[in-house]
Amino acid sequence: MIEESALIEDLRNQKPGAAEIAVSLHQGFLLMMVKPLVGEDLANDVIQNTWIKALAAINTFEGRSQFRTWLTRIALNEAKALLRKHHRETSLESWGEDIGSPIANRFKESGAWQTLPHTWHHDTPDSFLTEAELQECITKHLHRLPLAQRGVIMLRELGGLGFAEIADELAMSEGNIRVLLHRARQTMHSMLNHFEEEGTC
Amino acid sequence: MLSCWEMSEMGSDIIDHKLSFNSRMAVMMHIGMCRHCRRYIKQLSLTSEVLKSLPLPAQPQDIARVLAALEKEERN
Repeated sequence: MIEESALIEDLRNQKPGAAEIAVSLHQGFLLMMVKPLVGEDLANDVIQNTWIKALAAINTFEGRSQFRTWLTRIALNEAKALLRKHHRETSLESWGEDIGSPIANRFKESGAWQTLPHTWHHDTPDSFLTEAELQECITKHLHRLPLAQRGVIMLRELGGLGFAEIADELAMSEGNIRVLLHRARQTMHSMLNHFEEEGTC
Repeated sequence: MLSCWEMSEMGSDIIDHKLSFNSRMAVMMHIGMCRHCRRYIKQLSLTSEVLKSLPLPAQPQDIARVLAALEKEERN
């Protein structure tokens, strides 16, 4: 896989094929990240504008964050601009509500484990991600998360934004962001756990 | 003494190092004695790591659409 710094250099020099590599690497993430914020209908326009802006401003990318995090910030700005243009707002009213632990039924009333956590066969990210079936399963379950949880987990884990920045972007408290992230992680953990135990998605 | 349920609720604060000093002490005491919670917290952290490295391949038509837009932009 091409090094990020080499790719940035190629983008700066407008090397043929460089834009295609960059788009291939990040387009899937950008679309999935922005959909909970602007809806399916505007997502393509937002991301198209994001790429146009990003590549025009590639010389201002200083490499202090990951390229993907930089793209995420541009996409969030484009999302806001397009929502304003369409006189729409991100509907975040229901985003702060905690729908409770997805693993509550794994505990006794005393607070002790009822269903004990078992050892997993995989113990590194790479060992999980070399299995195509598992990658597909993770993506499928990310899509199934409640909108707010999906929005936050995409910004934090895949986009690499900090808690304060996410809270600011979504106009929510950092505490709310952390709860949403925790619930999303717990649900994704349950999915991986199911795969470990049953071998199926 | 924290219960295992409470440990599971604090899971992300634990892996993101967002605990107060007192909570951190209580968590360390529990973790030291409870291998089940040790395992759960470790797996939750691994889940987060897996997501951080997840490649999300784009659909060919989504890539083509952007490249066409970039080309059009360049011509203008």
